[in-house]
Amino acid sequence: MSTRESLREAPTGEEPGRLLKIAIADYPAIMRAGIASLLSAQPDMEILAAGATADECLESLRALRRRTGVLLLVGLGIPGERGSLWLIRAVRDQFPSVPILACGANSDDLTVSQALFTGADGFVSKDVEPAVFVDSVRRAAGGEVVLAGVPDSWVGRIADNVERTVSTEPVLTQREVEVLAVAAEGLTARQIGHRLGVRERTVTTHLGRIYRKLGASGRIAALATASEFGVLALARHR
Amino acid sequence: MSEAEQIRVVIVDDHPMVREIIALACNERASLQVVGQAGDGWEALEKCELLHPDVVVLDLGLPGLSGFDVLLRLREQFPSTRVLIVSGRDDRAAVFESVRLGADGYLEKTGSVDEIAAAVEAVGQGTKVFSVDHRRSVHVELGDLIRRSREAASLAARLTRREREILDLLAWGLSTRLMASRLGVSERTAEAHTRSLYRKLGVRSGVQAVHRAAEMKLVKLVGSGQVGRLNR
Repeated sequence: MSTRESLREAPTGEEPGRLLKIAIADYPAIMRAGIASLLSAQPDMEILAAGATADECLESLRALRRRTGVLLLVGLGIPGERGSLWLIRAVRDQFPSVPILACGANSDDLTVSQALFTGADGFVSKDVEPAVFVDSVRRAAGGEVVLAGVPDSWVGRIADNVERTVSTEPVLTQREVEVLAVAAEGLTARQIGHRLGVRERTVTTHLGRIYRKLGASGRIAALATASEFGVLALARHR
Repeated sequence: MSEAEQIRVVIVDDHPMVREIIALACNERASLQVVGQAGDGWEALEKCELLHPDVVVLDLGLPGLSGFDVLLRLREQFPSTRVLIVSGRDDRAAVFESVRLGADGYLEKTGSVDEIAAAVEAVGQGTKVFSVDHRRSVHVELGDLIRRSREAASLAARLTRREREILDLLAWGLSTRLMASRLGVSERTAEAHTRSLYRKLGVRSGVQAVHRAAEMKLVKLVGSGQVGRLNR
């Protein structure tokens, strides 16, 4: 968790004439296609990849040789354990310089707060006018914090939510996250110990502490809570 | 325009001259009626209780209860009253805090009085009045807050249980000897944990440690002397 990246400090500043390359990860195919066609119609943008899953998106980013002028647009509706938050955290972790703009159709302030806290640089609602959507993408690519198509009252709510997250988020150490990630594969404590090169006893100690921190009664409950917070993203791709 | 349709305005500023000028500009508009004025925060709340205005024009730098405190209380007690901040401050933090606390508009005093009156009218009709620059300021500040929160969370994850306990006890103002006895460890051990806590927080004294932790919301300072960590 120590590698969690901050919002980028300074605007990256698009070089004039350079195309902004956009990777899109979003769940409903129609939505994805719509956004892709809207953005690819802009003279200064091109669609790098458009995928339905977080893994596809991560693969396409990994395949790039250079990642300057690349922006990730991620829909907040990608379901499952490797969903939107997982993707945001993974990209923030592995490609810290890539701006991430979250978007959503009916996202509530809590979801948006989580996305921002996890690593997104901004959020744009899918309800905004196309011109506003395109403008938001450009501004996010330029390093701005974007919040478009949401009521002004969300500023206060998001600030409160984020500060509350700091004080209530179950905090796991890097090692605990690793243990939990391996535990997610259904291995026994002995097998986990073997994998991580530690004693079985150490593993059970870690697991006990993890359960306590997450307020979980056992492994399944701990995994459910952890995936909800997106904390498993870190270890998986090491 | 009948009186019933007019937007009722209360003006809050500690300078009578400023209040008077804004009041004159407002009263020049048929849609606005200034029903009261207040020179400090407490008086502002009293006037609102009494007059139930539609719009409060609020200065931030007030004696006694600050403009932010007034805004917070107005939001709680009179949620339908709209608030237009008219301030001498032009810093991002002031704009952000105003928006965070629920202001409906923000103007700097450098603007013309007619601009203020027009903004009062707009706010009274339910429009939010923030300039493009102000909105941008708000987003930059929100981004900073999010970044600080991420850093705080990442730091919190690096603290050991003992270091967290030490932090709590420091916030209570306990000496090393008392901390050691409370934790059931030797003074040397308590000192070692304290040093390691200082190192992680990047501070050199207990007061700095508590201050830094409070900044990062790792400890919450409640009222006078009451301290409790949120992380439990």
